[in-house]
Amino acid sequence: MTAAIELTGITKRFPGVIANDNVNLTVEKGEIHAVCGENGAGKSTLMKILYGMQAPDEGTMKVNGELVNFSSPTDAIDRGIGMVHQHFMLADQLTVLENIILGAEPTVSGGRINFKEAEAHLSQVADEYGLTIDVNQMVESLEVGERQRVEIIKVLYRGAEILILDEPTAVLVPQEVEALFENMRELKASGATILFIDHKLDEVLEISDSMTVLRHGKTVATMKNDGVTAHELAELMVGSELPTPDTSESTVTDDVALELKDLTVLNEDGRQVVHDINLRIHRGEIVGIAGVEGNGQGELVDAIIGTADIASGTVSFHGRDITRESVRKRREAGLAYVPEDRHHEGLLLSSPLWENAALGHQTQSPYGSNWWLDRDGARAQTELIREQFDVRTPNIDVSAHALSGGNQQKLIIGRELTSDPEVLVAAHPTRGIDVGAQAAVWDDIRAARRNGLATLLISADLDELIGLSDTIVVMLRGEFVATLAPADVTPRDLGAYMTGAALQNGGAA
Amino acid sequence: MIAKLNDLPAWARWALYAAFGVLLLTIVQSISDTERLTQVATAREMLRFAVPIFLAGLGGLFSERAGVVNIGLEGMLILGMWFGAWGSITYGAWWGLAIGIFGGMLGGLLHAIATVTFQVDHIISGVAINILAPAITRYLSEEIWASPTTSPRTSAVGDWDVPFLAGGTVFGWESPDLLLTISQWEIWYLSDLAQLSRGLLRGTSWVAIIAIALVPFTVWLIWRTRFGLRLRICGEKPAAGEAQGINIIRYKYIAVIISGGLAGLGGAFISTELSGLFQGGNSAGRGFIGLAALIFGNWRPGGVLLGALLFGYVFGLDLRDLDGTASHAMLLVNAIAFAGVGLWAFTRRRKADTIIAAILGVGALFWWIVADTVPSWWSNTLPYVVVLLVLVFFAQRLRMPVSLGMPYRKGET
Ligand SMILES: Nc1ncnc2c1ncn2[C@@H]1O[C@H](COP(=O)(O)OP(=O)(O)OP(=O)(O)O)[C@@H](O)[C@H]1O
Ligand SMILES: [Mg+2]
Repeated sequence: MTAAIELTGITKRFPGVIANDNVNLTVEKGEIHAVCGENGAGKSTLMKILYGMQAPDEGTMKVNGELVNFSSPTDAIDRGIGMVHQHFMLADQLTVLENIILGAEPTVSGGRINFKEAEAHLSQVADEYGLTIDVNQMVESLEVGERQRVEIIKVLYRGAEILILDEPTAVLVPQEVEALFENMRELKASGATILFIDHKLDEVLEISDSMTVLRHGKTVATMKNDGVTAHELAELMVGSELPTPDTSESTVTDDVALELKDLTVLNEDGRQVVHDINLRIHRGEIVGIAGVEGNGQGELVDAIIGTADIASGTVSFHGRDITRESVRKRREAGLAYVPEDRHHEGLLLSSPLWENAALGHQTQSPYGSNWWLDRDGARAQTELIREQFDVRTPNIDVSAHALSGGNQQKLIIGRELTSDPEVLVAAHPTRGIDVGAQAAVWDDIRAARRNGLATLLISADLDELIGLSDTIVVMLRGEFVATLAPADVTPRDLGAYMTGAALQNGGAA
Repeated sequence: MIAKLNDLPAWARWALYAAFGVLLLTIVQSISDTERLTQVATAREMLRFAVPIFLAGLGGLFSERAGVVNIGLEGMLILGMWFGAWGSITYGAWWGLAIGIFGGMLGGLLHAIATVTFQVDHIISGVAINILAPAITRYLSEEIWASPTTSPRTSAVGDWDVPFLAGGTVFGWESPDLLLTISQWEIWYLSDLAQLSRGLLRGTSWVAIIAIALVPFTVWLIWRTRFGLRLRICGEKPAAGEAQGINIIRYKYIAVIISGGLAGLGGAFISTELSGLFQGGNSAGRGFIGLAALIFGNWRPGGVLLGALLFGYVFGLDLRDLDGTASHAMLLVNAIAFAGVGLWAFTRRRKADTIIAAILGVGALFWWIVADTVPSWWSNTLPYVVVLLVLVFFAQRLRMPVSLGMPYRKGET
């Protein structure tokens, strides 16, 4: 039988790096094939080459046994290939429906889009996948998890035969991952071939039939998924042990660093999306927020950062009321922020790394003073971040889009943690970071916590939430409905609380 | 009440707004010493000014929806003026329009080559076209008409009177002129409404009719068709379009060329319909004002038309207002508008906006009280002032294309 995909000797060079170095990859028809590797190993680059977005410098590609030469994604799409990109490819000001049908619009005479037919087809696909969102709303009103699901629906809608999924699960909660896997199995059963990238090794082992490991742009192993353990896989990827997050001794103090009192935030329609929230985070404490997306977490974060209009209530820092203060003032007071979507709020993609490192701290030393940027200081600090947080890049003058996704994330984490923050608001902090670096980030957060950092943590990774937090609060419909001790909960319990199921059974703490 | 307004079909809502606007003008007029605010001639001049502004603005809409800033509209308008005049003289009126469109398209093509293919900064390319166009047309005029500034007379495509409402003829039979009759009754407000309507419906240039028809057509094209969706993705997130197999470069080219064509039609209208000849400088910055109308209209066709009519009204009023009394009365309209904006801001608890609106409103009122006339630079500046104010008060509600003005390179995400 001919393989669905056969890549031989693929090489791709970027200025200063060889992203793919003589890579070979063979994927059989009807299998789920995982591509693993640390951040910057060259996974996304390889997938983009296969999808026609980038041209390889050397090497040949065969799809279903035929030699192909893609010059644009159009060619790949014609061959039945579909791709979910690592970073969202969604237009904020178009509706969900428009984003999904783009490029495969059903039309009637005159080029008019047949929205009825599109909606009917979409709801059929969405039902199978279990997607429940209003397809006529603008994408800008969606949160990251919903955006991710829209991205997935986008390829399912097209009915591709070969699917490339580049980190589709990074921001999904376990139930959603399960739904995706169920769907992938069905697709496989109907003959589709799936290429799958993920940093969570247990997920890789659960879903894939075989896997290929990349390291520094080279193929280091290809194997069947029979009897391979997560430890072995991790060792192949990064050459180290698989870390598990566990809480060290408590460092919580009595000093309240961040306090929210009766905080209420309205959305555009005047609905209360955050309702009378009270929360205290002490120095040295990490408070995790568990909740299904869209229950007000985003607005809560915005209110603390200073980008949302607060309808009533107060936000205070060490007892000082900052409810009406600007984002800059808050930043200068020691607020650090890791946004949920690094491309949306975290980086200036076409600016060099050192400018990105200064972003948000540009008025503070060592990046600058009130008026002037301190180039040398900023560059030195960026070098420091690069070293400490292992940001893989040829130099700090490349623009941010030249970094791999995980390395972009590490840059953001480094930027925020090296600014000596008092309070950290972190949404999905380790999104897209490989297992080795993830352990390092967790250690960094714990070290900062020992030194008195107060952290508000939001994460779809429930193990991370349980492993790092001192306290977990469950957020549902804009309110805190339960407070849990991480030692006493399992991810499964947490899942039940998040949907409100545990509360109805009288389980509220 | 607002909720009920939103339930009405679009045309009914707009008609209601228009009726309300005329009511405002009538009230102001009854306490001022002018009658020009609601005269037939004012409405006619408004439309004549508005058409090229609107066409340029609509051109801008096509280009900017595809992500390309088009500050070169003025230059494309000038190309349209020259080519329109030349075509009209050489082949007749309708050909003049077609050739004017073609001239504008050449400008658009140039802009597309510079910005899309060679990644030149959009503003720089636009400014270059604005400098180039007058020079080229001057040279061509010299070569062909042996005069650098003016052409011979052109012919126009003519106009149309709407039957029954404005006394147009139907198969040679002269229908009644209903609006004229109502105007002559001299009933407060009703007759004013009739006069203004009659100005729009009598002696209406075919180009104006085409321009108005372009509003629903553009809405349909941009929001209902495959072409429109693909064009919009170029301005919103081209990488997403590319990833879905769309040839972004091609759509950008098409959009910018259409943009030039529309500006060219506006230019041809100026030379063949308004002035009856090509004359350098007759574009009078209407390309730029079209861009202002585009922002005012929030990158939507209906909004662009509204902006063009509003600006056209101010210019049209000023044209015959030799003693400055009508523009003076407009100050009171401005004051009332500011009061409205202030009230709106107040109900939304936007303190700073309320205060700014109040200060400006009181300022306009004060000016209205102490002065008897207004200098003519005031009406020329007004469109830009209005746009600045829109940006001050409504910036949050403006929805410009997200990737507007950003360079796009294939395969770079
Ligand atoms: N457009 C580009 N310009 C320059 N260098 C690039 C570009 N894209 C990728 N690279 C480099 O190529 C290497 C591989 O990147 P790639 O995105 O393929 O990594 P990855 O395996 O997907 O990592 P991650 O897990 O972090 O997503 C990195 O060193 C990156 O810096
Ligand atoms: Mg990647």
